Amino acid sequence: MSALAWGVKSLARRPLRTALSLAGIAVAAAMLLDMVMLSGGIDQSFAQLLLSRGYQIRLSPKGTLPFDTEASLSGTSAILATLRHDPAIEAAGAVLGASLYGRTRDSLITVFGYGIQPEAQALYQVTAGKDLVPEDTVGILLSDPAARVLGAGVGDSISLLGRLDPQVAVAGVGRRLVVRGMVHFVYDYRGQPSVATVLAAMQRLAHDGIQDRASLVVVKVRDNQAVERVAAGLRQRFPRLEVNSVADLVGHFRERLVYFRQLSYILGSMSLVVTVLLIATLLTITVNERLGEIATLRAIGVSRATIVRQVFAEGTALILLGATLGILLGLVTARYLDAILTSFPGLPATFSFFVPRADTLSRAGLVLVLTGAVAGLYPAWLAARAPIAATLRAEAT
Amino acid sequence: MSEAVLVARELRKDYPMNGEAVHALRGVSLRIDRGEYVAIVGPSGCGKSTLLQLLGGIDVATSGSVELLGTRLDTLSDRELTRLRLTRLGFVFQRFHLLPVLSARENVELPMAEAGLRPPERRARARELLDYVGLGSRADHRATQLSGGEMQRVAIARALANRPAVLLADEPTGELDAATGQEILEVFRRLNRDGSTLVVVTHDDHLAREATRVVHMLDGRIRDD
Repeated sequence: MSALAWGVKSLARRPLRTALSLAGIAVAAAMLLDMVMLSGGIDQSFAQLLLSRGYQIRLSPKGTLPFDTEASLSGTSAILATLRHDPAIEAAGAVLGASLYGRTRDSLITVFGYGIQPEAQALYQVTAGKDLVPEDTVGILLSDPAARVLGAGVGDSISLLGRLDPQVAVAGVGRRLVVRGMVHFVYDYRGQPSVATVLAAMQRLAHDGIQDRASLVVVKVRDNQAVERVAAGLRQRFPRLEVNSVADLVGHFRERLVYFRQLSYILGSMSLVVTVLLIATLLTITVNERLGEIATLRAIGVSRATIVRQVFAEGTALILLGATLGILLGLVTARYLDAILTSFPGLPATFSFFVPRADTLSRAGLVLVLTGAVAGLYPAWLAARAPIAATLRAEAT
Repeated sequence: MSEAVLVARELRKDYPMNGEAVHALRGVSLRIDRGEYVAIVGPSGCGKSTLLQLLGGIDVATSGSVELLGTRLDTLSDRELTRLRLTRLGFVFQRFHLLPVLSARENVELPMAEAGLRPPERRARARELLDYVGLGSRADHRATQLSGGEMQRVAIARALANRPAVLLADEPTGELDAATGQEILEVFRRLNRDGSTLVVVTHDDHLAREATRVVHMLDGRIRDD
């Protein structure tokens, strides 16, 4: 019989105690797993989100991140022309974001408007109807929440207002647009009412005076391996713009969410400590209960190494069973927690805090196995050092 | 002249108790030859179990020496002594001390597995030994499913697993009723008849009468041999 099978059988001698310990280990392992997924998942999810349409570089006003402020770029057409001449660049498109207002009966509904260039857009996927074409200055695309609040569907006409004066609630400009299609905006938070028009239409709705403005420019590089090199070239070419690759943006994002990472490290460490204490306590109690048995084994010639191996096998059996339960529990709780966290305002609905990754999961598994080994150290030492004769004498009385 | 299996010379064993030394053995010398069936008897606390533990290398004498087949036990490292107990000595305890999670066969196989015997060989040997003690049909029962007498017979089979030079038994009938104790006596009788060397510590007069030699102990000394 293998040491592990023997360990499992030994644990089965006290089923209730073992079950309670396994439950404790499973909860701690689930917590560790969730924290590991949280610490690495945010980065991965954010990178996936930014790359969802294949655009690897963003240009925004100096000192800002995309859509971080209301600052905008001027001379967008010239920037785009330069970019589109670069042979390393496959596509480049400008995006202008602005608050717009739709009129329904007696009230104004605020929606978020994106001005895009349909031939190079990084924001949405069409779910119904048709996409815009570059010359379509009277067409508009709606997200599902926008369609709901505006009470409009594909083929309907809606009125949108821009440049609202909050003092007198009077719009500076209004425009009637025809809904061409329904889209899913990848960066929208849950329930966000958003619309998209071609850039020129949005520029007229959002800005007075200088029309050639955009919030950011997105760039798709032909060769993924060349992204950082192209980004560095763009920084030199446009010193008055902020140029960020996806890796740069993930880095900025990571800095902002450093507390999440710290929280996950602290809670993950605590769950490991709890796991160590649980296993060590259970094994110590078990070893103390079985000192007579251990002394007998030693008396009949079983080596200390075998005894130690046996204690470790029980610890390993506990951690394997507990971790298996913990993984299931961790995945369920991660889904639940993710649903809560992504419902916070301002977070893209497609964003995920808990992303199971093979490397982080295997790292967590390894850490758990090591935890089992550490937890078995003291009980194993206790078992190996049990005095044979004295224990047998005590057993006999 | 018969071959000496175990030789004890001037064995002394003191235990500290409340700051004072309790003299469990006060200079015991004993020679046990191959094929002997020795019963060590005496009142409680006379030192007979301590003597057995020293003879079996599971305790260390305060002074004196024990030789097993010419090897002085006090010259061996812990690892060597453990190996010697595994391969040259067989132990039977009053409380059987079988592993409850293992079957009778697995309990018997345990010392053989530790000695490195391959699974088919140890399985066959375990079967043979369980048949010898009359438990061939109970081989796959867990220890907890066996009666006291059956457990002790499994413990005897386990003690014989690696063909020891001598079998040491400490009150082997102490936990058994008279009828079940008789079964154990019968097994010991048969073992000795088949050539095994036995040293049995006992209170049981029946068991002592079965032995070919009786060593009486009193106050840590051999009173009569």
